[in-house]
Amino acid sequence: MFERVPYYIGVLLKGATVTVGITLGALAIALALGLALAVLRTTRLPLARPFVRSWVEVFRDIPPLTQLFIIYFGLTYVGIRLDPFTAAVVGLGLNGSAYCAEIFRSGFSAVHHGQREAAASIGMTPMRAMRFVVFPQAFRVTLPPLANYAIGLIKDTAVASAVAAPEILFRARNLTSETFETPLIYLLVAILYFCLTFPIARLVDRLEARRKAWA
Amino acid sequence: MSLLAELQAFFAVYALKWPEWSGPMGRAVIVTLQITALAYALGLVVGLVVALGRLSRNPFLRRAAAVYVEVARGVPALVVLFLIYYGLVPLGVVLDAVPAAVIGLGLSAGGYVAEIVRAGIGATHRGQREAGASIGLTPLGVYRFILIPQAARIALPPLVGVLIAVLKDSSLASLISAPDIMLRAKDISSSDFLPLHILLVAGALYFVLALPLSAAASALERRMSRGLKSRP
Repeated sequence: MFERVPYYIGVLLKGATVTVGITLGALAIALALGLALAVLRTTRLPLARPFVRSWVEVFRDIPPLTQLFIIYFGLTYVGIRLDPFTAAVVGLGLNGSAYCAEIFRSGFSAVHHGQREAAASIGMTPMRAMRFVVFPQAFRVTLPPLANYAIGLIKDTAVASAVAAPEILFRARNLTSETFETPLIYLLVAILYFCLTFPIARLVDRLEARRKAWA
Repeated sequence: MSLLAELQAFFAVYALKWPEWSGPMGRAVIVTLQITALAYALGLVVGLVVALGRLSRNPFLRRAAAVYVEVARGVPALVVLFLIYYGLVPLGVVLDAVPAAVIGLGLSAGGYVAEIVRAGIGATHRGQREAGASIGLTPLGVYRFILIPQAARIALPPLVGVLIAVLKDSSLASLISAPDIMLRAKDISSSDFLPLHILLVAGALYFVLALPLSAAASALERRMSRGLKSRP
């Protein structure tokens, strides 16, 4: 029963590289967009706050699968055709931008407002105050929730199998159609996802223990 | 054609198609709500049992509960659904899509619920438990009258968060052919060739279902932290 396990693992590992690729791509979009949204929220531009709040609410409350289908199937209606990998990166990235925006927002608000005032009083521009005073302090607070978000993201990449991106779960489905060792294959899939997320979960635990030690 | 005219044409499709779509989509909403409610209920039960396991004095129970939490949080819900729906068939366990989705999503949510309950009970001071015992409460009585009321305050807002997550994850049930919002939307999009229109309806439906929960979670968080935040 187990003689084909190395073959299965080989195929699934190829899928894992795609899973990691989708994760990193989506993470980059989510971090960049989330940071931009959080900074936009701190500005005094009119409509900035309601805009960011609606963005966060919309992208957070709609399931990633629905967002992915809108991007992959829906946008073909207006002539935009993305390949499955790109659609997954963009869809999960937009979804994640809402989470990251909230994480950065709470990170910024954890920095005492006196810090910003002190930076202004020694002549720093708001951008420089952000860069040298607020951000380094906020970073420490945001790291554990960001790592938690990354775990959620790795798990969410499984929905990309529904648009035929050749990641772990998609390869597993192909394997199950050529053999009938379905329980074994899905068990290997579960173990593989666990191996991807578990180190990050441990990292979160360590970061949180360190933060408690400082507090 | 100007952008405004194009938008008008886009939304005119809804006026034409909605009478035809409203029936199946309405039934699909009910399936989504059923899956969500049952999976959440299962998740609460599983989570409570696992949390008590993590807090028990038996080292084996503690270890088993910790492993459960790690696995439930480390494996995607979709993989759990596939494992239950497709993976158990060769072993002779054949489940319908909706029960499979309820079990899979419930087991998955149980890991999160367990951590939330554990954090809530862990946040109550040890002296509370001792005080309860010293006035003659049984261990169950200590939980019932002393620990759970205090833990609820901390645990309630994140538990609403889990409900929102279960609602969103219920969309995964469409991938094992449960007739929920996403499956109906996909059916309609392939029969009417209007993928964007119907998928936007699906997105809007999830948004409308999740928005009040999300507002309730923020309100609860503000209400429950009353009097706690002022401490340094």
